[in-house]
Amino acid sequence: MSYDFDKLTSYGKSFSELTPEREALLIEVGKEIKPKLASITEDFYQYLLTIPEATTFLGGRVESLKKTHILWMEGLFTGPFDKAYTEHMYKVGDVHVKVKLPVEFMAGAMTLINQRLTALIVETYGHDKDYCAQVLTAISAVTGMSLLMMQQSYQASTLLEELEKFLKISGMSRALFTNLATAYRDI
Amino acid sequence: MRSDMLVSILSDLNGASADIEATAVISTDGLTMASVLPASMDEDRVGAMSAAMLSLGDRTAQELARGELEQVLIKGDSGYVLMAYAGKEAVLTVLAKPNAKLGLIFLDVKRAASSIAELL
Repeated sequence: MSYDFDKLTSYGKSFSELTPEREALLIEVGKEIKPKLASITEDFYQYLLTIPEATTFLGGRVESLKKTHILWMEGLFTGPFDKAYTEHMYKVGDVHVKVKLPVEFMAGAMTLINQRLTALIVETYGHDKDYCAQVLTAISAVTGMSLLMMQQSYQASTLLEELEKFLKISGMSRALFTNLATAYRDI
Repeated sequence: MRSDMLVSILSDLNGASADIEATAVISTDGLTMASVLPASMDEDRVGAMSAAMLSLGDRTAQELARGELEQVLIKGDSGYVLMAYAGKEAVLTVLAKPNAKLGLIFLDVKRAASSIAELL
C-alpha cells in the first residue's frame, strides 16, 4: 500500500509541535545524552519483564529487541525527523501489528520510555530549569510524533486485516471491492 | 461487435415484459459490459452493487448448504432486483416493477443469461 509519508510527517509534527528549534535542541543534547541511553533501554526491558502481558511478546527476544530499541532512542537525538524517519516509524508500527502486539502496548511503552528519559534529563540538566524544560518538551514532541506515526500504521494495518477478512467471508474479489469503492467514491 | 450483441440481448429481454425496467450485463468484478438502464441510474453503481450481491449470495448459498447459486432476488416496495450468473464470468441484473410476474421473468432471464454466456 502506498502512503504519503510527507503528509504524515507534517501531520505528526503539527500534532506534537516538533518544531525545527526543538529538533535542533534534541540534536544538541544528543552528544551528552546518547551515551546514557543504554541504561534506559536496560531498565525499560527489565520493567517490561515484570508485566505478565508483555512477557508473552518478549520471550527469548529481549537481547535483540534491546539493540533495536537503543538504535531508535539514539535516533531521537540524531534526526533528521523527515519523511524517512516517518516511514521507518510507520514500518515499526507495521511490525508490531504483524506480531499482534496489542495497540495499548505502544502507548504504554512510550510512557515508560518518557518517564525514564525525563529522569535522565532532569539529572543531566536539572541545574538549568529553563533549558531542562525545553529539552523535556522537545523529547515529549519527538516521542509523541513517533507514537502518532506508529498508531497511523496500526490503524491502516488493522483496517487492511479487517478488509481481507471481509473479502474472504463475502467471497468478493479485491478487484470487485475496488470497483465498488470507486463507484461510491463520492460518499 | 460483442457489446452490440449484448445490448441486443438486453433490449430483447427488456421488450419481453413490460414489467422489466432495466437490465445490465456485468463482469464478476463489477464492471458493466452492456446495459439498458434509465438515465437516472448510475451504470457503475448498478454494476458493482450487482456483482457484490451475487458474490455474497454465492457465499451464503455455500455457507448455508443451499447448493450452487442460481439467482439472487431482492424485493423492495418499489420493485425487484434479480441477479443471475450468465456463465462463470458475468452477471445478468434485471430491475422489475413491484407487481411483476416473476415466473415469466425468471424464464426470460434464464434464456437471456444462457445467450449471454454463449456469446462471452
